[in-house]
Amino acid sequence: MSLPCGIRNLTYAQDMAIVRTKTQWGMLLGLLVVVFTAPLYLSNYWLGVFNLIGITIIAATGLNILTGYCGQLSIGHAGFIAVGAYTSAILTTRFEMPFLVGLICAGLMAGVIGIIFGLPSIRVKGFYLAITTIAAQFIIMWIINQWGWTGGQLGMTVPFASIGGYVFKSGMSQFYLIIGITVLCIFIAKNLVRTRVGRAFIAIRDNDLAAEVMGVNLTYYKLMAFFIGCFFAGIAGSLFAHWNITLTPEQFSFKNSILYVGIIIIGGLGKSVGPILGVLLINLLKEVLTINVVPFLEDKLTMFPSGFASGVTPMLFGLVIVLFLILEPRGIAHRWNLIKASYRLWPFSY
Amino acid sequence: MKTKKLIISAIVCLILIIASLPYMTACGGADKEGKTIKLGISTPSTGVAAEKGRPLEHGQKDAIAYVNAELGGVEGYQIEIVWRDNGYDAAQMSNIVRNFMDEGCVMFSTSSSAMMTASMGLANEYGFAGLAAFSSPNLYRPPQHIYGQLPDYGDDFLAFMDYYLDEMWEGSGQPKVAIHALNNSTGKGAINAARAYAEEMGITVLWDGAEGKAFEHKADSISEMESLTRIKAMNPDVLYISSTPAPTALIVKNARELGMDVVIASGHAGLTSALVDLAGEDAEGVYGVFPTVSWGDDVPGMDKMMEYCEANHPEDAGNGDYITGWTQSLIMMEIVRTALQNADYDALASGDADAWAITENEGIKKLVNYDVEGLHGPVSYTIDDNRLSKSVLIFKIQNGIIKAITDWIEAPVVRYEDLDWFGQ
Repeated sequence: MSLPCGIRNLTYAQDMAIVRTKTQWGMLLGLLVVVFTAPLYLSNYWLGVFNLIGITIIAATGLNILTGYCGQLSIGHAGFIAVGAYTSAILTTRFEMPFLVGLICAGLMAGVIGIIFGLPSIRVKGFYLAITTIAAQFIIMWIINQWGWTGGQLGMTVPFASIGGYVFKSGMSQFYLIIGITVLCIFIAKNLVRTRVGRAFIAIRDNDLAAEVMGVNLTYYKLMAFFIGCFFAGIAGSLFAHWNITLTPEQFSFKNSILYVGIIIIGGLGKSVGPILGVLLINLLKEVLTINVVPFLEDKLTMFPSGFASGVTPMLFGLVIVLFLILEPRGIAHRWNLIKASYRLWPFSY
Repeated sequence: MKTKKLIISAIVCLILIIASLPYMTACGGADKEGKTIKLGISTPSTGVAAEKGRPLEHGQKDAIAYVNAELGGVEGYQIEIVWRDNGYDAAQMSNIVRNFMDEGCVMFSTSSSAMMTASMGLANEYGFAGLAAFSSPNLYRPPQHIYGQLPDYGDDFLAFMDYYLDEMWEGSGQPKVAIHALNNSTGKGAINAARAYAEEMGITVLWDGAEGKAFEHKADSISEMESLTRIKAMNPDVLYISSTPAPTALIVKNARELGMDVVIASGHAGLTSALVDLAGEDAEGVYGVFPTVSWGDDVPGMDKMMEYCEANHPEDAGNGDYITGWTQSLIMMEIVRTALQNADYDALASGDADAWAITENEGIKKLVNYDVEGLHGPVSYTIDDNRLSKSVLIFKIQNGIIKAITDWIEAPVVRYEDLDWFGQ
């Protein structure tokens, strides 16, 4: 990583540190203060929005490890999230297990299912692998729809998360739980890609033949990428189940799987900050359009035919994404890096 | 002299009273001026069920505009709408409900059972009453804080099969019925009713394999030729569709294309003018169940509703979903009116947990025989039954018009939660 002029790494620990300068520490602390005091000035609704953003960031981070770092395209991520959600829901309701057991088991179950559907990655890649992951989405959802324990099409009611007798029922308590786990997941993912495993993932993504020649076991690392990516999806699913407290198969649609791919592309593939920025843009855009723009247009644009405002929302949503991909195809993370680079050079930009 | 003094005093008092009347009225009006009650409304105005969502949205908003403009609001208070399009996206619904709670709404409504299913956990947890226009037994069996405006999809099936057995079935033995169901609560309601009552009614349900597994389709299905070919091979007497208009039209067209010689019937989620528009001539002769009167029927509330529809949304003329939306808002405002008659405005307008409890206990649970201006069956709350209206009509599509062919049919209470397979 480049550093501001005049700063040098003198030890290995300094070289490996994620946060290295006083400015970075200051910004990190400022961000944490803003995030952890957010419940004091956010309404219950906006806490709900940010809770969903936190959950989506965890899932998108998993997909970013699988697709962004390891290059294994998955278009069935919502299915893996559903595995986690229903695993946790079934364990906590039918077997009355604690939330934390449900959370961990949700990650493990989604990871194992991910390995099963990741097996074709040993022989196929690219679009062919994408097709097999689409199959995962449909097979998983079919099973959930048909299996009695999941409540089938009618879904199931899930209790709020609880740890040691404390029930995370209020928006504020849920926020701290979800954001805490989100921060932990981001930290793990950030460090994972700096390890031997992460470098193997990147080698496979960039050129799998060359990676194999270098001694990277493709089967092992590809399946590990599926396990880790889907483990994150399972954790996100569990949190979603205990936050939303109602699960229906329709919450994990194929459309959502495609949206997850869109999120990591817009955020920046293979960048740890990419999923965060992508989720923030997509979710906030969706909320602002739904809550503010459409009702406003309905009130003000009376000269247009009825239904115009409702119809304009998906168009606006699509337009923003298309424009973004045209103007910044390398994702928001790239723009963020440009901003940081310009700050490093400021005020002598030469 | 004494009489004269009394007469003069009385006249003076009368003059004073008459003179002060405008001020007294003004004071009363001023008390309520600018004060509102908020209602949360969510419709699928975009997405795969938009052909239903838009007329429902328009009907709901127009009814509230009518009451605010022409009736001076509810008990003198204007009704404020907090409307959100859910795009028929289940993942969006819980945040929309959170938004309604934050905005201080006293209750909320959804059009579809699927969207209410996605949000009922939160609503039940917080005691925030929800009213679903189209409902399925899973929403209120057992009863909690979710209410059905109309009889549910299970009631549709039972009412139609009763009619079919009484008026149409001429064969020997039991008629064979195939159910084509949307793969969510819309379809599941009919499946549950069939499973619970087939034996008692004397019908044979053609399951797609195991008992309880009907022939299913998705809301965005583009062909059902495969499933209908399998159904045709089983030689059914009745093809019952429980779905939204677009897939219902697709199934009807596919069935006609295959030359299926069956009675086709639709539950109330699919029986609207959109079905006729989409299926065209193939819709001729299709039966269906709907819980409101037909467009243009001679009932007290029809003229005003048609006037507003013509003025604001002429494209919805003739659409039963507009009637459903209009009546849904009328019922929500009646609930507010009842609550205001039994509780203090400030307590209700606060829109907090206490207001939600007042709305439910002093409003919904005290509804008795509200006639909804004749637009659908009377609305009452009865203990252990969260369906507010319990009556349906059987319709038939003839010459492109959906015509009622029966009088109101009362749908019985079914305690699904007592059946061991319910919810499995």
